[in-house]
Amino acid sequence: MAKHHVTATLNGNAVEFLCETQQTLLEVLRDELQLTGTKEGCGTGDCGACSVTVGGRLVCSCLVLGVEAQGKAIETIEGMAEGTNLHPLQRKFLEHAALQCGVCTPGILIAARSLLACNPDPTEEEVRYGLAGNLCRCTGYNKIISAVLDAAREMRGV
Amino acid sequence: MAKAAARVVLISSHSGHYTGGVKEFDIEAQTLHDVIKALDARYPGLGEHLEEETTVAIDGEIHEVGYYQPVRPGCEIFFIPKIEGG
Amino acid sequence: MDTKTIRPDEKALRIVGTRPVRPDGVPKVTGLARYGADFALPGMLWGAILRSPHAHARIRSIDSSKALALLGVKAVITCADFPEQKFEFVGPERVAINFWHTTRNIMAREKALYEGHAVAAVAAINARVADEALRLIDVDYELLPHVIDVDEAMQPDAPLLFEDMITRGVEPAPDRPSNVSKRIEFNIGDLEAGFAAADEIVEMRFKTAPVHQGYIEPHACLARFDADGQGEIWAASQGHFVVRALTARLLGMNIGDLLVHPAEIGGGFGGKTVVYIEPVAAALSRKTGHPVKIVMRREDVFKATGPTSGASMTVKIGVKKDGKLVAADGVFKFQAGAFPGSPVMNATMCGFAPYDIANVRSVGYDVVSNRPKSAAYRAPGSPISAFAVESALDTIAARIGMDPLKFRLLNAAKAGAPTVWGPKHAHDSYADTVQALLDHPAYTAPLGKNQGRGVASGYWFNNGGESSATVHVNEDGTVVVATGSMDIGGSRASMAIMAAETLGVEYEKVRAIVADTGSVGYTHLTAGSRTTFATGIAVVEACNKVILELRARAAMIWSVKIDEVIWEDGWARTAGKKPGTREPLSLKGIAAKRAVTGGPIGAEASVNAGGVAPGFASELCDVEVDPETGSVKVLRFIVAQDVGRAIHRSYVEGQLEGGAVQGIGWALNEEYIYDAAGQLLNAGFLDYRIPVASDLPMIETILVEVPNPNHPFGVKGVGEVNIVPAMAAVANAVNNAIGRRLTELPMSPPKVLAAIDAGSGG
Repeated sequence: MAKHHVTATLNGNAVEFLCETQQTLLEVLRDELQLTGTKEGCGTGDCGACSVTVGGRLVCSCLVLGVEAQGKAIETIEGMAEGTNLHPLQRKFLEHAALQCGVCTPGILIAARSLLACNPDPTEEEVRYGLAGNLCRCTGYNKIISAVLDAAREMRGV
Repeated sequence: MAKAAARVVLISSHSGHYTGGVKEFDIEAQTLHDVIKALDARYPGLGEHLEEETTVAIDGEIHEVGYYQPVRPGCEIFFIPKIEGG
Repeated sequence: MDTKTIRPDEKALRIVGTRPVRPDGVPKVTGLARYGADFALPGMLWGAILRSPHAHARIRSIDSSKALALLGVKAVITCADFPEQKFEFVGPERVAINFWHTTRNIMAREKALYEGHAVAAVAAINARVADEALRLIDVDYELLPHVIDVDEAMQPDAPLLFEDMITRGVEPAPDRPSNVSKRIEFNIGDLEAGFAAADEIVEMRFKTAPVHQGYIEPHACLARFDADGQGEIWAASQGHFVVRALTARLLGMNIGDLLVHPAEIGGGFGGKTVVYIEPVAAALSRKTGHPVKIVMRREDVFKATGPTSGASMTVKIGVKKDGKLVAADGVFKFQAGAFPGSPVMNATMCGFAPYDIANVRSVGYDVVSNRPKSAAYRAPGSPISAFAVESALDTIAARIGMDPLKFRLLNAAKAGAPTVWGPKHAHDSYADTVQALLDHPAYTAPLGKNQGRGVASGYWFNNGGESSATVHVNEDGTVVVATGSMDIGGSRASMAIMAAETLGVEYEKVRAIVADTGSVGYTHLTAGSRTTFATGIAVVEACNKVILELRARAAMIWSVKIDEVIWEDGWARTAGKKPGTREPLSLKGIAAKRAVTGGPIGAEASVNAGGVAPGFASELCDVEVDPETGSVKVLRFIVAQDVGRAIHRSYVEGQLEGGAVQGIGWALNEEYIYDAAGQLLNAGFLDYRIPVASDLPMIETILVEVPNPNHPFGVKGVGEVNIVPAMAAVANAVNNAIGRRLTELPMSPPKVLAAIDAGSGG
């Protein structure tokens, strides 16, 4: 069975890859494109560690097929910083110690960025519900929530 | 009972296999190595078991089993099963 | 986030206790940090493991011919590819390893003992071919009756996992085999007399379901073998030296021929202190001559990696009218899973440990049953017995009309108090954690309808042990600190802080790395709350050696004796009556002269750290129970823990916050659900529901600091004890809210609703 040839945009750059029909976008990112920043925690869309955006929409990349990326703009954690300028969320996560083992962090950063894009001034409860699809086992979420609220403040210019 | 002796207690049932169930001893010693040697002289094989498979509490404070550990007269030494956490 | 420092009259510290950014932070927020599944090598094969679909079955034969014939398959292995191991218990008795069991857990031999038990493995050119090959392996199983629940496994007619298992620790030894691997008992005083003197007695039964550590990163590794028998492994683990030792033993090779690289680890909590896939990947690589990568699927993590035990417990407590505890008796039956080794001994020792009680008996049973072999989970065993003991204490305090915190204060163990396992307590600080809650305004804040408040306490030994560190001064005076401790939660930052503080230089001038097994001395697990303590001691010792060397070099440069040189705040200065006669020398200045004064400047220290201080924690939980659904919402949760001294304040808080939330999940929702055939129904994060952000309030932490005199900075281990009281705190809160005591975990909505519907009581 021949592989599919897919062209898309990845973190702002043109990209093309070959993939099998059943390969997920997560597998393509990690195994075909060597972008291992997006993590597999469960493979069934329950943990959010594989969060990316496709066409600006937050998705679990383990629930998206590689072929579905055709012609779309994909954003992963590797594209979140601009060169050496960390995104405010990334900086705040470091300041607030919002990561312990760090494996859920890429997914949470992507999800938080999407959340703030929709809702730049969320309450604590809105952040908690907005990130309810991202599991973290280490932190108990305290410092993640604080970091997101603090980043939101900075991004609003407050 | 010698005033200088330390009170040594083996609480692991595994240790009891070497000693036929005897658990408490008074041993004159200046270091833990002295204690281990004294016990091993009485019960061959016990020394290696204590070194490899136990942790020691000296006057309630937990230490790894080490030859150099000083033993003061009248102190209480418990050899307890080694601790592992998660 | 409050900190109470109990002994504030010490030398001011510059960096210890602050919150600098961790040195490994940027790679972790940009996706560049490499975890176990993130490695690849040219020519790499994908490994996959065939797992038993049956809970209990004899393996009559395995036919891998069809799998081997599949294009792209390079090897198929079974237990035949691992050397047999001698049957003997070695190592720490509390978590004794018997390699006869270990090798069978890695790859089944005579029997499959749980659904998910590895029976064969393949290496193939890609994951798809590997999975297809698994389907082509023919295993002839003879199904056997199975047993999972601990009480059922102890019944005389229960199916036996090992036909020759005779319970250890019983005199005389039983004449029939059973599933009880071991019985242990500790006692002090006179239990009968104690209860005879009691004015009030409660006796209660408790049951807990097994729970998984729930780390988000599944196990993953890459192994590579050379034709001369040397090998390399990249693995996410809580201890690469232990991975090296276990893998070498299981493959029958010299430890020195195996190099293990520490990948970053995506959570462990004790579950990654053992090996599952590393020996399999190594064996496949050795057989094929190619690197082999294995990544566990989430389903297999649930089905085949060690959760902690489910338990069945009875606790009996006796008190006087004035609140003084006079007797305590606990019987704790723990599920070990398919092979012996539950943490029941810890449970028997920790359950009553916070309290000064003269007459105590504590009995434990280690029971095998058809589930994955249990592995350590955060203060292993202690949270389970604490759930029972703290619930019983709460009940009896209410019975005599005494405030639960004041009850605990009255009975608090202090230095000199007995423990049930023998030695007297050497540390006082338990009472400080209770007092911290008593002093908190939340304790007397009013509660609304359907709301309740609960408190509980807990104890954990903490660990010391072997650690190594090397400290080198670079040519420009900056410093590298290399240790053998995997960084699970910010320990590189703590090592850098302790080194910078000791050397007297800025934090940013010291970089901490985690070295592989070939580059630093043996270092034991990042577990047991030992890392900041034991590896910290090694780091400080190495720094002190470096300081000695720096003074010697300065003495050489100045042509004076070394006694005339002191090291102060990062500078070598002349000592004595006329200070400042020479320009002080910094690390940079001395490093510039290193070649002429003897060469590179560095030192290593290896320690076997003792003088561990135990962990004490007391916790407060407020809940609101929905009377229509039985759903429990946590409104407030406070952890007061004696941390000795917080090296990096944020990461210490993080441990308390994280442990509390794991405990909340354990209390309210987490459990394994099996069908009649012993197969796991909820092998995924959807139905094995761990807490999510919207379930929780902000967890409040009170860092009680009673420094440990046996550590240069007063550190006490902090990672584990915070989970110990959590389930009881929640259970006591639920009881306070609905007037019904739930004695089974988890307290999921159907159970809470059933308790409410059963009518009020108390």
